[in-house]
Amino acid sequence: MHRIPAYIILFLMLALIQIFLLNNLMAGAFFCPLIYVAFIILLPLDTPPIVMLGCALAMGVTMDTTMGIAGLNTAATLPIAFFRPNILGLLSAHDEHRDDGIPSPKRMGVNLFWSYLVAMILIHHTLFFVLEALSWGHVGRTLLRILCSGATTTLLAWLTARLFTNKYSTRK
Amino acid sequence: MRRLIEFIRSTYVVVLFVLLELTAISYYARASVYTEARLLARSNSLFGGLHALVTDVENFFGLGRENRALTSRIAALEEELARYREADRHAALRVELRTMGDMKYRMMEAAVVSNTTGRARNYITLNRGGADGVTNGMGVITPDGMIAGYVVDYTEHYAIAVSILNPIFRGSGTPEGTNYQGAIRWDGGNPHFVTLEGLSKYADPKVGQKIFTTGFESYFPEGLLIGTIESFVLDAVGTTYTVRVRLAADLSAMNNLIIIENSDLSEISDLQQSEVIKYLEDN
Repeated sequence: MHRIPAYIILFLMLALIQIFLLNNLMAGAFFCPLIYVAFIILLPLDTPPIVMLGCALAMGVTMDTTMGIAGLNTAATLPIAFFRPNILGLLSAHDEHRDDGIPSPKRMGVNLFWSYLVAMILIHHTLFFVLEALSWGHVGRTLLRILCSGATTTLLAWLTARLFTNKYSTRK
Repeated sequence: MRRLIEFIRSTYVVVLFVLLELTAISYYARASVYTEARLLARSNSLFGGLHALVTDVENFFGLGRENRALTSRIAALEEELARYREADRHAALRVELRTMGDMKYRMMEAAVVSNTTGRARNYITLNRGGADGVTNGMGVITPDGMIAGYVVDYTEHYAIAVSILNPIFRGSGTPEGTNYQGAIRWDGGNPHFVTLEGLSKYADPKVGQKIFTTGFESYFPEGLLIGTIESFVLDAVGTTYTVRVRLAADLSAMNNLIIIENSDLSEISDLQQSEVIKYLEDN
């Protein structure tokens, strides 16, 4: 409960960065980082599934209205929120992470945290760019967009995670 | 009964997820470009003010470049004006012709609030709206006279234009010095190139030749620069050329644009949808 204000601030910060900075970034067609997924990635591990879905819906709808892409962000964000426990379960063969708290390298181990980060972002970006292109005409182009944007998002998400968890690592 | 409640408790998240996901995908699948433009226009009334602030700060740092561009444009216009003054003196009698040319198009300056080039469908948001007299179908060009898009939706203070980098953009172009024309289309991909389709085999295009607007679709006046020919191929049947055109305007670097008001726009579209035309098409 005490984390709610922190997450509201995180939501607003990520949404504002996405809307005002990244959506206006003209770094070529291949770099469209979607940092807002970091919000879903950083939700506490013990978040009830229904709250996860609610958060994904809120973020997705916010991004859809501001980017002017009806439903695309929501369609890409909901699955990663819903399947997050399964993704984590697949990645950590033996239960090395504790099932609560904010996901962070300290709590999960550096390796697991990175693979979790990459997996979540890759799934989200694949859904996003494949749905956006919706044709097999530009497969190579779509693939390149997923990889370039995904890599940029991963770096940004890692920075966000560092900033966010450093601030709240002492409290649980 | 308790079993039923237990069952619903254990599956409602899954059901909810599937429902939400299906809703999102079907909404996305059914959304037309106009829905998206409408969505952008609506969110603009919410974020427009903040957007404008950010754009102002951005523009401040671009003032130098903008100034140089404007100065050179003014110089070019002065030159053209001098030429017209000269022509005017010689042709003082042909008054009606000149006023017709003067009155048909009116220009309005607008600042870019947001603009994308990297998406599959790109839009330009401008800080002029219905209150400034903007309506759908007005052309949008860069200050140096190159086409950028046309308005498809507007609110009181903002307008959304379909960028030339949008598959629904409709335009036509003609190679310099010819009367042949083709359709301008963006095939999604490189933001620096568009395709000119259906150009007659007699047009004899050359690499580097300039492509201008035709004035047929009434968004733009005739003779605005679209770009230059990069390459071209004759189709399999040998009747038309498909030409790859390098865009003259750099759509990723636009701060200010000009909205063109065609005072005959409603008259032309009314005429095109008249009862006589409908009757002819139906029979």
